Amino acid sequence: MSNDILSEIKKDYVLSKLRDGERIDGRKFDEFRKLEIRTGLIGKAEGSAYVKLGNTQVVVGIKMQPGEPFPDVPDKGVIIVNAELVPLASPIFEPGPPDENSIELARVVDRGIRESEAVDLSKLCIEPGKKVWIIFVDIHALDDDGNLLDASAIASICALMNTKVPASRFGLGEDFDLPVNDIPVSVTSLIIGDKFLVDPTRDEMSVGERTLTVTVDKSDNIVAIQKSGDYLLSEPLFTEVLEVSIRASKKIREEILRQCSKAC
Amino acid sequence: MSRPEKFIIDGKRLDGRTPDQLRPIKIEVDYLKRADGSCYLEMGKNRVVAAVYGPREVHPRHLQDPTKAIIRYRYNMAPFSVEERKRPGPDRRSIEISKVSKEAFEAVIMKELFPRSAIDIFVEVLQADAGSRTACINAASVALVDAGIPMKGILTSVAVAKVDGVLVLDPMKEEDNYGEADIPFAFLIRGGKIESIALLQMDGKMTKEEIKEAINLAKKGAMEIYQMQREAIMKKFIEEGENE
Amino acid sequence: MRKIVLPGDLISTNPKVAGYGTYIEGDKVYAKILGLFDEAENSAKVIPLKGKYIPSIGDTVIGIVREVTANGWNLDINSPYQAFLPLTENPETKPGKKPNDILDLGDAVIAKVINIDPRMRVTVTMKDKICRAIRFGRIVAINPARIPRVIGKKGSMIKLLKSELDVQIVAGQNGLIWLNGDRRKISIAEEAIYLIEEEAHTEGLTDRVAEFLRRRKECLAQKNS
Repeated sequence: MSNDILSEIKKDYVLSKLRDGERIDGRKFDEFRKLEIRTGLIGKAEGSAYVKLGNTQVVVGIKMQPGEPFPDVPDKGVIIVNAELVPLASPIFEPGPPDENSIELARVVDRGIRESEAVDLSKLCIEPGKKVWIIFVDIHALDDDGNLLDASAIASICALMNTKVPASRFGLGEDFDLPVNDIPVSVTSLIIGDKFLVDPTRDEMSVGERTLTVTVDKSDNIVAIQKSGDYLLSEPLFTEVLEVSIRASKKIREEILRQCSKAC
Repeated sequence: MSRPEKFIIDGKRLDGRTPDQLRPIKIEVDYLKRADGSCYLEMGKNRVVAAVYGPREVHPRHLQDPTKAIIRYRYNMAPFSVEERKRPGPDRRSIEISKVSKEAFEAVIMKELFPRSAIDIFVEVLQADAGSRTACINAASVALVDAGIPMKGILTSVAVAKVDGVLVLDPMKEEDNYGEADIPFAFLIRGGKIESIALLQMDGKMTKEEIKEAINLAKKGAMEIYQMQREAIMKKFIEEGENE
Repeated sequence: MRKIVLPGDLISTNPKVAGYGTYIEGDKVYAKILGLFDEAENSAKVIPLKGKYIPSIGDTVIGIVREVTANGWNLDINSPYQAFLPLTENPETKPGKKPNDILDLGDAVIAKVINIDPRMRVTVTMKDKICRAIRFGRIVAINPARIPRVIGKKGSMIKLLKSELDVQIVAGQNGLIWLNGDRRKISIAEEAIYLIEEEAHTEGLTDRVAEFLRRRKECLAQKNS
């Protein structure tokens, strides 16, 4: 509980700065924190990425294995996103099976990847109706200093872009690069009254966990939305968040391409 | 992986090391913002992160000890840390490693200074290689120092294996899997010297003489690791003083 | 610069000198925490660099009310341990006045530690001239190990801040600092405190803080004119 007193103190600070039109770390309202991406650090995984967004750190590893397809799409690969909010990453995370927050996080990341059709699952069929590639995207939080969701989404797509399908290990021909066609980017905003802050830090979140996440593909289509928290959202604010999210997503995508093409 | 025909050729191991040589080690202190103390450590291909939270209030309350802090240690492997995806969550192996590691730290942390509280040590294995438990103890030890937790000294951990009848320090995967024996140690280091053994396990077959020899080899390796732990902490806090 | 020591470092062979941050075993004195080694003629101690606030009798602390009971208030004092403020230790207690009319959940107070039992149950009082209920101003939080630097030798640093900025400041040993006065000047004081926290172990800190305050006051004067 000793963290409560600190977050109460930070809350006052955030709100007092906000009255002056400022954020506590000096960022603009629509600005992401510094983004650092490293890929391929886990040699045992088929693909991996480490993302540091401000002080939020997350590692995503990709494992692949042949398995059964879903009956309704017998000729397509399967993608499974799983998140572990391990107690190492925050004083408020508890050991144990995934809670509602880690499940929500994994599902929002999953929707962005799935709906943008970022991974060409039709190229992951081994034997229609019998055998396809299963992709496990495992999100492992290291340090939650706010907006773990966007950091996880960035790390997930970067890890997928870095993935080699381990065909030879299973006697299925030569390894090949996982076909990735899009880079969905999720943009989470903290809603405070009629204002909103993109990519909130943990300190900023102390004013109330009320966020709106908008995931955008490379053609500026919206591919996922998640309103999270006990608040009412006005229509004008929603449209404003959409506009800002699309703009912010472009910058992040450029940054992903810049840092990943260098490494991949 | 299959059993290599020979583990030692011309005095060199499969990865080119001599029998008394450690794998490369990298240590970074204060790696995480939210934890009270933290450390990132590489030992061979092991990539581990340790975090310490505490002393802090114990929930639920019935777990409190009115006379001292309770120590909790959680060794956890990321699903992608091993060749075959590991199902998330603790298995029997992780639970045993957590128990013996916790007990090693219980022996050096001055827990009687913090009645009714908890000190939590969490270690995440991002990539597992042979000896991940020793890498985790080394990282946890640094994280505890970084958190300002009072301790009798520093714990340093390393394993010794026997392959082709030869004792080797800090075994790699092949030596661990197919060797004749494996002994992980953790030592308490105080006053710049190894004082006692805080963790000790063994599986395999060894003579009494070999075990004595193994202790000496492990002590040599532990002193080298201790110097690296020490330098990493010093570097962190001296830098902090200098650049400001 | 003072030497950094780690737990288990041998710092003396004379048990009589053992001070804060050390322990004795046999006839040897060892460091028990990470810190700066501070050696004088007849004392050897370790000044901590990190760590949670652990209460000690006589400390000034800032706390927030977490629970109101019939006998007093439980305070969160940014520590593994809560503190209890008995009704009888609050000068505002009067017959007929209910505890939550005096202090309610979420209220902040400045108090002093008067008792700690072996189970680390902590009792505080507000019967001291420094104590008060905090109804205005701001609270800032820093690493509790850095509070002595914010206070300075014989209170020199805190005096500098108070006189240069004309603000009220009370530094709690638990890492929380109360600031009161003009809002913009409070902001300058806050930044100065973060500066002290970051550079706590460097030489010439007071001079740099004085310089920082001078520059920020100039900026403020320019904005106003």
